[in-house]
Amino acid sequence: MANLNEKPNAEPLPRQSGASIILNGRYLPPPEDEDGKLWVRTSALVQSPPQALYALWRNVELAPLWQEEIEEVVITGEKTSRWTMRSDDKVITWDSEILADQPAKRIAWRSIGGDSDNAGEVIFEQAPGGRGTYVIVLQEFRMGKLTSAWETLTGRNPKQAVIENLRHFKALAETGEIPRSQEAPHGKRGLIARFKRSLYGESIATPPGTKVA
Amino acid sequence: MKAVCWMGKNNVETQTVEDPSIINPRDAIIRITRTAICGSDLHLYDGFIPTMESGDVLGHEFMGIVEETGSEVTNLRRGDRVVVPFTIACGNCFFCKKKLWAACDNSNPNAHLMEAAYGYSGSGLFGYSHMMGGYAGGQAQYARVPFADVGPLKIESDLSDEKVLFLSDIFPTGYMAAENAQIEPGDTVAVWGCGPVGQFTIASAFMLGAGRVIAIDRFEERLALARGLGAGTVNYAEEDGSVLTAIKDLTGGIGPDSCIDAVGLEAHSVELQGVYDTIKTALLMETDRPAVLRQAIQAVRKGGTVSIPGVYGGLIDKMPFGAAFGKGITMKMGQTNMHTYMKPLLERIEKGQIDPSYIISHRISLEEAPAMYKIWRDKKENVTKIVIDPWLQRAA
Repeated sequence: MANLNEKPNAEPLPRQSGASIILNGRYLPPPEDEDGKLWVRTSALVQSPPQALYALWRNVELAPLWQEEIEEVVITGEKTSRWTMRSDDKVITWDSEILADQPAKRIAWRSIGGDSDNAGEVIFEQAPGGRGTYVIVLQEFRMGKLTSAWETLTGRNPKQAVIENLRHFKALAETGEIPRSQEAPHGKRGLIARFKRSLYGESIATPPGTKVA
Repeated sequence: MKAVCWMGKNNVETQTVEDPSIINPRDAIIRITRTAICGSDLHLYDGFIPTMESGDVLGHEFMGIVEETGSEVTNLRRGDRVVVPFTIACGNCFFCKKKLWAACDNSNPNAHLMEAAYGYSGSGLFGYSHMMGGYAGGQAQYARVPFADVGPLKIESDLSDEKVLFLSDIFPTGYMAAENAQIEPGDTVAVWGCGPVGQFTIASAFMLGAGRVIAIDRFEERLALARGLGAGTVNYAEEDGSVLTAIKDLTGGIGPDSCIDAVGLEAHSVELQGVYDTIKTALLMETDRPAVLRQAIQAVRKGGTVSIPGVYGGLIDKMPFGAAFGKGITMKMGQTNMHTYMKPLLERIEKGQIDPSYIISHRISLEEAPAMYKIWRDKKENVTKIVIDPWLQRAA
């Protein structure tokens, strides 16, 4: 990610209704991207109770187990933590603050300085018919359009990263591990192997999921 | 270890690659004792499947001995003999709980590639492109099996490998095709394609009570196997009239109760995010060959069922949907929900109701595999099914 130091911090969430998908009975589309601002909303049906999912998400020190390229999260206060992200040999850090914390229901956060300017919210909602929990994430990034295009070509678009991270979270919550195939044995790779790996999203290491195999 | 690697269109090589190892707690490493080449591997050989990469290890029909297990695998032990299903399923997600194992939400690490094409991703598969998970396949001496506590079927009797190997894909696939055909006792069932899946579809149709099976193909050796199962056969290459005429003649003009398309298309078509339109356009030219599906829809009786085990990947054109609607037919299809069928079908083999090894025509070593891909693709040497012994020392 680019150096986003000079950008103003994202405003606190929620805007309008936050991550919600239904407002007063009507479907609510996700916020549209604006100049220098990206939004992504994604959701997953997870076979685990809201309490357990909230607890897994809230334990931010465990984030490196399921979030891509997050190297370390250190608790710095009751509501604050410092995040370190490594992309190839580029390392960025930022501080994050929890804005809303409702056990088994909702967590909202924003960055409060450092190399990334982002804000987000996750909602845990009992799905109808006893079919599990809807986990809905709304995340906002502030960055230039050029940066976004570049990230899409060379690595994970930050929007896709949010989608993949929720997928990893769901897999970890449901199965106790995150599926991975990047270590698969293979024969001789061709000349464009690196490009293909990047195209398939395989150049981003799958997070470990668990500490012991 | 030695493994059969895809090296590009019309090019597979047996190479020495690194051994697999346990990565996740629910993994197992299997020492493979028998593996096979599937008809669907020919789609890879022909270069129709996107997201293959040179060096990918092929093969999704395999069985063997458990060599090592991850910390969370408690139902398998080193030394157990197992057949491995070609679809990988976690057993925990919404779909696995509904026993829609082939729709597992958690087993494809590259799910986003399939989502771009299909809206949603199916389960991961062994040795079948990166969009299907990027897992190494089983035409090798060892394989890593994820979610080994859910998938592999333990073989505790002394049945030979060849009798149980096809529980890994084609026998359950044929059985689910017959089940999807909603056969009632005495029904007439028409099956297009008498390759390995077609064979097991025919056998399963009889198991489910079909009174008559009409088998359609153009290769005499396959039709002969179908007749051996009790089917009546139609060689469409030799029919003067159309297959439709033959089928009407054979059913007193009303058509079969069920029609089964065990042929499918030559290709899947799947698009990547970045090259979505390019690949889509290029593949449309190749995928637009639903000749059998059109015939099956035309031929089935009013209110009948069309079942589709044959693989389709992209968009199809000129579908007789008016005929489908006008006759009020039912259509059922999809990748095989393997885990549902393996155990009951093993019991049928144990009881001697079927010996799936009858379709095997060739037994080879890993070194001989590259040449056999070409021979099978070109329909030479009367190949019906190729089984590989990965430990057999025999040069190409």
